[in-house]
Amino acid sequence: MSAPGGDGTVPSPLASRSGIAVDDQDEILKLSAIAKMFGDKAALKHVDIRVRRGEVHVICGENGAGKSTLMNILAGIHQPDGGTINLNGKDVTIADPIAASRLGIGMVHQHFALVPSMSVAENVFLGRHPRRLGLFSDRRAMVERTRELIDRYGFGLDPETPVRSLSVGQRQRVEILKALAFDAELLILDEPTAVLTPPEVDELIEVIAGLRQRGRTILFITHKLREVKAVSDRVTVIRHGESISTYPTAVVSEADIARDMVGRNVFLVGRGAQSKPRDFGAPVLGLKNVSVTDASGRLLLNDISFAVRAGEIVGIAGVDGNGQTELAEAIVGLIDIQAGSIELAGKDITTATVPMRQQAGMGFVPEDRLDRGLSVTMSIAENLAASNYQRAGLESHGLVVMSRCTAFAEEKIAEFDVRGARPAMPVGWLSGGNMQKVVIARELNRDPALLVICQPTRGLDIGAAEFIYARIMAAADRGRAVLLISSELSEIFALSDRIGVMYSGQLLDMLERSRADEVTIGALMNGARIEAA
Amino acid sequence: MRELVLDCLRAVRAPLTAILLTLALGFVLVSAIADDPVRAYRDLLFANFDSLGNFALFLNRATPLTLIALGVIFSFRAGIFNVGGEGQLYAGAIATTIVGVTFTSLPALLLFPLALIAGILAGAFLGWIPAVLKVRFAVDEVVTTLMLNIIVLLFTSYLANQVIRDPTSYGAVSRVLPEAIWLPALPGMRGATSGIVIAVVLACLTWVVLFRTEWGAQLRAAGTNLRFARSVGIPADRRIITAMLIAGGFGGLAGTLYVLGIGHRFEQNFSPDYGLVGLTCALLARIHPIGALATAIFYAMMINGSAYMQISTDVPRSLVDLLTGLLVLLMTARLARKGQRA
Amino acid sequence: MTAVSLLSSVLEQSAPIVLAALAAMITLRANILNVAVEGMMLVGAFVAIAVGDATGSAPLAFLAALVASIAMSQLLAVMTLRFSADFIVAGLGINLLAAGGSLFALEWFYRSPGGLRPVSFPDLWHVPAGSLSFIPVLGPAIEGQSIVVLLAFLAVPACAVFLYRTPTGAYLRAAGEDEHAARSAGIKVGQMKALSLAISGLLAGLAGAQLSMDKLHFFLPDMTSGRGFIGLAATLFGGGQPWITAAASVLFGFFGALGDRLQAFAIPSQFVLMLPYVAAIVGLTAARWRAHVRNRPARMARPKET
Repeated sequence: MSAPGGDGTVPSPLASRSGIAVDDQDEILKLSAIAKMFGDKAALKHVDIRVRRGEVHVICGENGAGKSTLMNILAGIHQPDGGTINLNGKDVTIADPIAASRLGIGMVHQHFALVPSMSVAENVFLGRHPRRLGLFSDRRAMVERTRELIDRYGFGLDPETPVRSLSVGQRQRVEILKALAFDAELLILDEPTAVLTPPEVDELIEVIAGLRQRGRTILFITHKLREVKAVSDRVTVIRHGESISTYPTAVVSEADIARDMVGRNVFLVGRGAQSKPRDFGAPVLGLKNVSVTDASGRLLLNDISFAVRAGEIVGIAGVDGNGQTELAEAIVGLIDIQAGSIELAGKDITTATVPMRQQAGMGFVPEDRLDRGLSVTMSIAENLAASNYQRAGLESHGLVVMSRCTAFAEEKIAEFDVRGARPAMPVGWLSGGNMQKVVIARELNRDPALLVICQPTRGLDIGAAEFIYARIMAAADRGRAVLLISSELSEIFALSDRIGVMYSGQLLDMLERSRADEVTIGALMNGARIEAA
Repeated sequence: MRELVLDCLRAVRAPLTAILLTLALGFVLVSAIADDPVRAYRDLLFANFDSLGNFALFLNRATPLTLIALGVIFSFRAGIFNVGGEGQLYAGAIATTIVGVTFTSLPALLLFPLALIAGILAGAFLGWIPAVLKVRFAVDEVVTTLMLNIIVLLFTSYLANQVIRDPTSYGAVSRVLPEAIWLPALPGMRGATSGIVIAVVLACLTWVVLFRTEWGAQLRAAGTNLRFARSVGIPADRRIITAMLIAGGFGGLAGTLYVLGIGHRFEQNFSPDYGLVGLTCALLARIHPIGALATAIFYAMMINGSAYMQISTDVPRSLVDLLTGLLVLLMTARLARKGQRA
Repeated sequence: MTAVSLLSSVLEQSAPIVLAALAAMITLRANILNVAVEGMMLVGAFVAIAVGDATGSAPLAFLAALVASIAMSQLLAVMTLRFSADFIVAGLGINLLAAGGSLFALEWFYRSPGGLRPVSFPDLWHVPAGSLSFIPVLGPAIEGQSIVVLLAFLAVPACAVFLYRTPTGAYLRAAGEDEHAARSAGIKVGQMKALSLAISGLLAGLAGAQLSMDKLHFFLPDMTSGRGFIGLAATLFGGGQPWITAAASVLFGFFGALGDRLQAFAIPSQFVLMLPYVAAIVGLTAARWRAHVRNRPARMARPKET
């Protein structure tokens, strides 16, 4: 098995630079040389992790580093292609989620598996109701046993409330209860804070401390540095499918972890590197005090104001789920805003529909190409043409001229180097990188005055990413305004002229590229105000 | 041009397997019960071409089926699971009849278009209700179209029995429309409706609109991925509602043309479940208009041929109903789970 | 006396609707819109008469009706769950198959496309006259009802207990409400759906048997005449709750019983018969409307995207 197209980093062989004698410790879980391929793409290349009994162990890494794959292997959802899993001193195979829970592994997924109309107790015992008379559910026993667990761990829930009426943080505790009711020795929490508000995060950290006190081992997956310090005994960093290092949390700095997470040499050459000063034109996009609330009245975007000028790339950094998606959708016109105003090239577009905004010169590359970017069952030609019929002159007398569509598609396929593509082929048959090229080719064809582009290289290999970077920069050099939203810090640094950071619905700060560095931005991404950094 | 022909050939090829499978199943069944299965099958399929009269009746079956299938294609392409063909058909038929038998004093030149438009509008209205409920409140369109079918059938039954009933005939039958507004028969073929010409033209037109206009591309984009359609600036909700208006209009037109060209009056039981069979035709043709024209013709052959089969052999004509049931049950099934793609 | 006779006829008229509604409800709770209740009922009705005619045994006929109807439900389950056919299309296929199949059998085996009317037919057990006269009004109304009518009304609490008081019922609801949650709790979602269809077949079979065996003792093509869909409407109106569904069914049955009498008051029966379907659409829309209003942000900056 040859490791395909790496990025040139030399994998540091293993673990523990901490100097603590590992063998003396009672290890509940030993992962050795775990590897996993999806098709010909390696999600995990070589992961070694030692988890000690009774510790809180954080696994830390960027998006796409392989954290979720690793968790899915431990949960029995995927099978590893190589390496061994040793649990309590025995090598085990985890065939499916049920096997995982029998082995004492409890998973708390990012996406909850709860039935909204059922009570806390019913959810905890779902799939294994205690019985009365062999036929009926013993509801009293369920409630009693759930209450016992709640009291023992201090979860502060009522076992008889329907899950529907619980907050997100409370629901997460129900998920943890489910694992505990199975007597899980090892609890795995997958990005547990991604869905929580800051106060809920604090509560979760308390809950975790309580669990550790009662002897449970906790594996905590995150990419937020601040949580690592707050919660853990030790931390293992993985990057590009490899375990890079393991540290005792007490002796390691956030900067060290950040360095291991990102890796020094993964930066692609971009705009930031060429430090010649630029002149930007007039503002193309202007947001003034924009706020968006969700159905329950929670603020998703909180009073956001900024501008993007012609020829400028503004990068919005931030951990996923801090309002970036809503920001893009509000600008593009897919969701309503409840306060503030949006201007495009000096015209107020606050109440304009999506088609009107696109007419006025807006292009949009959504974060998920399969969700909003493409219709996978339609052909490549039709996906490319979707918003270009008039501009590309594909019609004559109101009818679409197929030969022109085919020619247009062939031209774009060649221009954007979409590999393995024929115009009539369903776009879903392409690889992720080539699909993304189709989206970008379509949006750039109209040469929009403003390009809103989200996570442009998520899941792509380096070659495709470089190509897309070049296109984005070329658009800016032609005098177009670009709003780049990405949770890849390296991407933000490679492309942006100015960098803003989103944190829980707020735009914390907007820095010139020359004044921004990883430490500052990293701190902002974790919610620290600039003064604190 | 070559491309167009190829595309149409491909569309006709799609339903061929399903049709052959049904015919094979039916043949096994017929062989088991009849002395002369080959004869029975010959009559089922080809007695339609024995005489001009048979052929005319066959064309009269094909017309409403094609139109309903086209309506279904519009709605399905826009992502709406419209099972309301039967209701739209009846709405069109009754509206045309009411106009036709009420304003008999109007000159035919005025009454004919009036009756035609009334039928189309009635069907379109019936398509509009579920579309708006779906787009505005996310009410499941399967439920609404299903329920509306029955409501319309009851309503037409009331009208046919109590309001426009022909007191001289037996059963729920309306008065006859003035002969001046009857749709002329096909030239040289007595008893055959020229509605079939309209149906064929509309099938081609549907194909052009769906596959050769930007509007059609937008409609299909909304139907295959609504979030994508919205993101690229397609007014998706409007496209969906329009698609359902057209779908209902086609269903209504089917009823209208039946009344104007075939029945010349409203009969409560005029449809042998054309709505569901039309849906079947559309799905068999993988919701392609030209393919649906082929499946509708095939089905018209079977439905009409079953009568000849029953006369000449002792195989009951309900064989066709049985086969249709089997076909509908089987047609969306997949033999194996789809292979994984890397 | 008239109250008793009206109540008695309402009970009898609404029994098949209650059963059909429960049949649709139990699958709705497993997230299946079951449009095939009508067809399964028809099969039950036909097989009851055919077997009763052949064997002369009421219990056998009754049992055969249930078995046949459950078999239809499992045919649907196999097509949809194993061969991933579309539930709606395959369900409509079941209806066509039932109608076409029974008509074909009438024409081929019995040579009487108009219907099957055995000369003599075994009777189901009925509540003996006078046995319940000590209960005012309700007692006399129940007297003379067949066992199926009793079973229909017992099926309501039975379904409620099954759904809310047994583990299997809870797993079935979980499978319908959130497949992901059910699956990760180790519940076999496909099995739960197949089970819900089987129960649905059983209830629809009861309904069919009641239609053909109870009083009439004959089978007509299309004798279910939309009762399966009335049941579906009642379930949708009742949002899948057993008691509300049953109440709606009785109400619809009441209007059905009233339908012909109302004609005297110049209200055409068709409008009365329309009520269930209108109620279903209005009920669903109202439920969505409430959710819509509740979720609307405090101030709409602009109308919904078109």
